[in-house]
Amino acid sequence: MRGLIKTLVLILVGFAFLAPFASTDPDGLEKVAETLKIEEPENIWNGLMPDYTLPTVRSPYLSTVLAGFFGVFMVLGASFALGKVVAKSGK
Amino acid sequence: MHIPDGFLSPEIAAFMWIISMGFLIWSWKKAKSVYNQSLASSLAVSSAFVFVAQMLNFPIVYGTSGHLVGGTFLAMILGPYAAILSMTIVLLMQALFFADGGIFALGANIFNMAVIGGLSFFLVKLLSGNVEKGRRFYISVFTASWISVVLGALACSLEIGFSPIFSEVGGIAVTVPAMLFWHVLIGLGEAAITTTFITQLYRLRPTALNGLTFMRKGMLCED
Repeated sequence: MRGLIKTLVLILVGFAFLAPFASTDPDGLEKVAETLKIEEPENIWNGLMPDYTLPTVRSPYLSTVLAGFFGVFMVLGASFALGKVVAKSGK
Repeated sequence: MHIPDGFLSPEIAAFMWIISMGFLIWSWKKAKSVYNQSLASSLAVSSAFVFVAQMLNFPIVYGTSGHLVGGTFLAMILGPYAAILSMTIVLLMQALFFADGGIFALGANIFNMAVIGGLSFFLVKLLSGNVEKGRRFYISVFTASWISVVLGALACSLEIGFSPIFSEVGGIAVTVPAMLFWHVLIGLGEAAITTTFITQLYRLRPTALNGLTFMRKGMLCED
């Protein structure tokens, strides 16, 4: 359990530190669509935080980091629950 | 590589959902028979790591970026079955909360990244000749992670290329070479990052690399 928390803190700190350096250029697929002049269609579902930003937070850095932290805890919780269920039904 | 909604025709989106569901049921069943209670924490932390890593885009060339997908990384930590499940959770959360990758396109995204990524385990196994250390093992990790990204991009380019929006502008004749061009390069980033992390984990925390126990004990051949 302690190891888990230590790793988690490391992940969060590492992310907060590296986030400002992340490239905002389009990724491979976005670039291909852009080159072919294909507009990304209007989203059917925008999620709570489209493009990893909190609409209400002004600072872009803080907005991304907070969205990232939120995502980390959602992923963490869901994976942990899944792990428990998978293991319980087994051994 | 996350496909947004609107790029895929309904038929292709549905078809990819069916394929991916098949793989998910398969990994779920396999996972039940091989993992014990210690799975939950390693699954949670490695999914969280991959989620964060996917937010950190690195620049490649000509104003394009890429990010770690993390399939081979997960496969080395968790083994193939839990790796597929772990990546699926990451993709699900990205689609639900951040509109990164569409909901209808999620089946395709699960196939391109989670299924291909998790199955890269068997490529590492094959290339390394079941020896989970030394130079040959690291070269296998490097190669498998590169291939997993290139194959994922190939699958993605076929899915979009056969869909109307892209077939109007040339279809797979255009999408396949374009996607491969970028992802051959992005895959090198994937391979470098994956190999670095696996090498360091091997040195500092070999117990974290649970996936390797599958290779060693040949647990995959049990049934």
